[in-house]
Amino acid sequence: MTDPTAPTAQPLLDVSTAPLPTQRTLKMRRNIPFQLVRFVAFDLRIMRMVLKGHKGDAH
Amino acid sequence: MADVVVLGAGVAGHTAALHLKRLLGKEHTVTVVTPNSQWNWIPSNIWVGVGDMPAEKVLFPLADVYRKQKIEYLQAKAVAIHPDGSETDPRPFVDIEYTGQGRAGEPGTVHYDYLINATGPKLRFEATPGMGPGGYTHSVCTADHATHAAHALEASIAKMRAGERQTLVIGMGHGTCTCQGAAFEYVFNVDHTIRQAGVRDLATIVYLTNEAALGDFGVGGMVFDQEGFQTTSELWTKSLFRERGVLAIVGAHVERVEDGVIHYETLDGTKHSLAFDFSMLIPPFGGVGLKAYARDGGDITDTLFAPSGFMKVDADYTPKPYEQWKATDWPSTYEVPGYRNLFAVGIAFAPPHAISKPLKTPNGTAIAPAPPRTGMPSGVTGKAAAITIARRIKNPDAPAEPASMAHMGAACVASAGTGLTKGSAAAMTMLPVVPDYDRYPTGRDVRETRGELGLHGHWVKLMLHYLFLYKAKAKFGWPLIPE
Ligand SMILES: Cc1cc2nc3c(=O)[nH]c(=O)nc-3n(C[C@H](O)[C@H](O)[C@H](O)COP(=O)(O)OP(=O)(O)OC[C@H]3O[C@@H](n4cnc5c(N)ncnc54)[C@H](O)[C@@H]3O)c2cc1C
Repeated sequence: MTDPTAPTAQPLLDVSTAPLPTQRTLKMRRNIPFQLVRFVAFDLRIMRMVLKGHKGDAH
Repeated sequence: MADVVVLGAGVAGHTAALHLKRLLGKEHTVTVVTPNSQWNWIPSNIWVGVGDMPAEKVLFPLADVYRKQKIEYLQAKAVAIHPDGSETDPRPFVDIEYTGQGRAGEPGTVHYDYLINATGPKLRFEATPGMGPGGYTHSVCTADHATHAAHALEASIAKMRAGERQTLVIGMGHGTCTCQGAAFEYVFNVDHTIRQAGVRDLATIVYLTNEAALGDFGVGGMVFDQEGFQTTSELWTKSLFRERGVLAIVGAHVERVEDGVIHYETLDGTKHSLAFDFSMLIPPFGGVGLKAYARDGGDITDTLFAPSGFMKVDADYTPKPYEQWKATDWPSTYEVPGYRNLFAVGIAFAPPHAISKPLKTPNGTAIAPAPPRTGMPSGVTGKAAAITIARRIKNPDAPAEPASMAHMGAACVASAGTGLTKGSAAAMTMLPVVPDYDRYPTGRDVRETRGELGLHGHWVKLMLHYLFLYKAKAKFGWPLIPE
């Protein structure tokens, strides 16, 4: 009998159908030049949000 | 001359105090009352908790900054607010109890013309027997807790190096917890640390959460626009769990913790027990337990505070079913009803309701993530209250500066491992924080609501670490750094 307190005996969420990243995606997530571009893009998005939504009354 | 008092020197209170002094100058006094002697950049506690950063790097002494900024600093905790003064003293005041400056335990009073309550959360470990630093699980909510967690994690890694299997459980310690982002970050940092140690095959890592679905984060999840498709934070998060081999249990309320075993109930009403070797569980938050008294000494705590202990502000607190919740229920000025000189900001204000749908198990146990009030909204609401006060000192009829979480956006960068070339993070932005289904079909602006994984997320998180510590130290040009 399996131990009822073991991780395998828990109501674990089934994530087996979730999409896995491809090798290319995994590589791009660590590719320095590509990530530099994403870094700048993300910072610009934060700045836009700060300007657009931070006042809390902007529509 | 006006006296402005700020209770709490966390993200919201410290931001408010710095802006108040900047806006008011020498003519008026700004006093900060806070029990802590050090400021803590809490988001980086995650890195302290895996031993990647010493606690000293996320802390600095407040006294020096306040001295330079000419802000009065009382190391004390607020105990009670008298917003109408007392029968013998018509000026509003706060009862305090010193915690330092050589006066620990001494009572005192501080008078005010304007008051900001930014006392943040009480970490309610007691809500779950056996949880927390006094019990069997760890925490990363303070730098000190995080340091202890890092030592315990190191011990667990040492056992794996010796060939022993370990189960590590990280998540939320109660059905009504908020701050899922922190547990999410910690679980992936732990995974990363164990991989770096070369013993991942001996670790079973479990994420135990009160979220009904992965990717909920207490904000009801997000819909992203990704490469021409609308995708959800749920799918995106599930993908990361699968890729990293982290097991997940969702919709869980932790009932109690015993030495090495967590007992919990899930949404279907079934009860389970999970054995662990190392665990970090975030506690539920509540207000810090401030009291309020009328001029005649009558207790008005229930009028000013919600049952959770958070302070009521200009929100619509009428109880109503989930289907009738509106973005407009959320506060915008953070003014306490009936008092144009009293504000509650950051985590200290009472939200009108949750954002994620509250659920119950067939046994009646609430599994209802509370709404997060993260760093950005905490800073923005603190600054807004400071602007309102500065305006009203000049003109008492001046309108309040609005800052509704149903209009403002927030960035959430969830670290998934450190290292300048090996790190990664899930970088998310959402606009607005509180979804508004009257304005957007998905509740949020899909052009601004995005999620992306990669090394750049780690750089952003690191940049925010240095930027916000620089700003909190009020160094040259600090007002240019947005909240
Ligand atoms: C582990 C962790 C990781 C997080 N990561 C992120 C993240 O990556 N990004 C993000 O945006 N947010 C993050 N957050 C959330 C963020 O830390 C909070 O949103 C923010 O700290 C809230 O600011 P606050 O000023 O309301 O409360 P706090 O920062 O908690 O400050 C409250 C202040 O009040 C003081 N106080 C308490 N009681 C009293 C009293 N009786 N009288 C006077 N003062 C009192 C406290 O000492 C403290 O100085 C994280 C939180 C945790 C716990």
